[in-house]
Amino acid sequence: MIEQLATMAPGPLHWLVLTALLFAIGTYGILTRRNAVGVLMAVELALNSGALNFVVFNRYVAPAGVDGQIMSIFVIAVAAAEVVVGMAIFVVLFRHRQTVDVTRMNRIRD
Amino acid sequence: MLMLPELIVVVTAFALLVVDLLVSERRKPILPMIALAGIAAALVAAWMLPQSGQLLGGRFAVDSVSRWFRIIFLIAGGLTIAVSADSLNGRGAFRPAALSSRAEFCLILLFNLAGMLFLAGARDLVTLYVSLELATIPLFLLAAWRRDVESSEAGLKYVILGALGSAFLLYGLGVLYGLTGEMRLEAMSGALRAGPAFWLGVGMVVAGVGFKLTLVPFHLWAADVYQGAPTQVTAYLSVASKGAGLALLFHVLYRILAPLAPHWDGVIAVLAALTMTVGNFAAIVQKNIKRLMAFSAISQAGYLLLGFLGHDGAPGRGVAAMLFYLLVYVVTNLAAFAVIIWYSGETGREKIEDYRGLSKTHPLMALAMMVALFGLAGIPPLAGFVGKFFLFSVASKAGLHWLVGLAAINSTVSLYYYLGIVRRMYIEPAGAEDRAVRVSPMLATVLAITTLASVILGVVPVFFETISFQTADWLKGTLW
Repeated sequence: MIEQLATMAPGPLHWLVLTALLFAIGTYGILTRRNAVGVLMAVELALNSGALNFVVFNRYVAPAGVDGQIMSIFVIAVAAAEVVVGMAIFVVLFRHRQTVDVTRMNRIRD
Repeated sequence: MLMLPELIVVVTAFALLVVDLLVSERRKPILPMIALAGIAAALVAAWMLPQSGQLLGGRFAVDSVSRWFRIIFLIAGGLTIAVSADSLNGRGAFRPAALSSRAEFCLILLFNLAGMLFLAGARDLVTLYVSLELATIPLFLLAAWRRDVESSEAGLKYVILGALGSAFLLYGLGVLYGLTGEMRLEAMSGALRAGPAFWLGVGMVVAGVGFKLTLVPFHLWAADVYQGAPTQVTAYLSVASKGAGLALLFHVLYRILAPLAPHWDGVIAVLAALTMTVGNFAAIVQKNIKRLMAFSAISQAGYLLLGFLGHDGAPGRGVAAMLFYLLVYVVTNLAAFAVIIWYSGETGREKIEDYRGLSKTHPLMALAMMVALFGLAGIPPLAGFVGKFFLFSVASKAGLHWLVGLAAINSTVSLYYYLGIVRRMYIEPAGAEDRAVRVSPMLATVLAITTLASVILGVVPVFFETISFQTADWLKGTLW
């Protein structure tokens, strides 16, 4: 069993299942996590699955270029910027409310 | 040279930081003026530059459509900074409405503007995605700018849902890249074949665009973010961010999915019908004017979508009508928001009933507000009517008569809640505590420009003719 797993090289299907799973876990996390920081981590998962998608397709569909890999680097940078902005906003909010529980964000109402 | 407007905007943004360090506190009110001058220079550059050409091996290109998108973005950004200048300089009578850190506010707004300009010229996935994020992430900061409970809550909601939307878009683009092996938007269109994975990719891209453009059912973040954000930022979100969403949708439909042009009418029609109907009916029950404008902006996105319909007869007409209505919507909506910004900045009140008797205390402001609201509703001599007329005729030429009927009904419904504000301003008496407040020269200028533009654009036909003529040229050159 172990030997079989060790010798099996992952194909495109395995990688795509991995990215789909990552995206699904990320989306599930965004919908269910109550702590805003947890939501942001779930967003990271979903974004990284998108980046991984580009790398996988670059390797198996268009191996001549490096377009997909370049895209993934940009995605990582953009995701980092997104997290910085998100955390800055959460810190400001935490100072006011002493919580970043997303289910309690109901001060804006008509 | 083709990138000149973008470069001017970015250089102005950095110059603001340096100037902020060098000048004394007393001289700082020139900072928004520097930003305005930069935007004006970029606008001139965008106007004067040739209408076609490409850079960086075709990753960035200019054509007449992206030229018009750039001009509209620059107008929207410039008007927003002009209308924010008073609060940035702390001149409003209601202190909590003032915006802090004026150099940083202008800097982030300019970077966001540069992102939108790059988005209009993007021709491959990397440029498209990165410029889209540059046109989105700064908005999270702007929404949370006031740093009080409401504003930072708006920022939290925006950052989470905006990131979710961008994750959907990225995954969808990844799938489309996998199906084609191409990064160039135009090259992708040639290699696409319909299939389950293709529909998955397109569906996720549409969802991502829907978040940006506040299409129903992806609109749920808009009301809270628009209400909680500082009013200046709400104004910017409702025009510029919407324009960026349209530019993105334009890239997706007319470049990536170009061969599918005859087939997307059904989807766009359903999205447009849902968006305008839900937006309008939700706006009726609102009591806060920013929330009302949020739903009004959602319904306007529904009208704007009509411009993507119709490919059997004259394909150029839809794009021209959409660009023209976007331009009209930018000036009209910013005229309405200028009054809202002024009123909430001076008195701190933003309920609709607070506008009662405004015509007694400020006849000219009430008049400007009325013209803007009638323009948004589409009352005949105003530009809003002309723009809507062109958009509806696009849908009619596409054979979607039910959609035209629905859009006309929606315009009538929207008249109900716009007139609700006008009724309060003109018929209800002013409250005992309502008295005249200050109107700054800057705000009066912006209001005069936008109100006049929202009339003139409709009366003088040359604007639509120019847009129509130039974009028809683009369509002949590239697609059909």
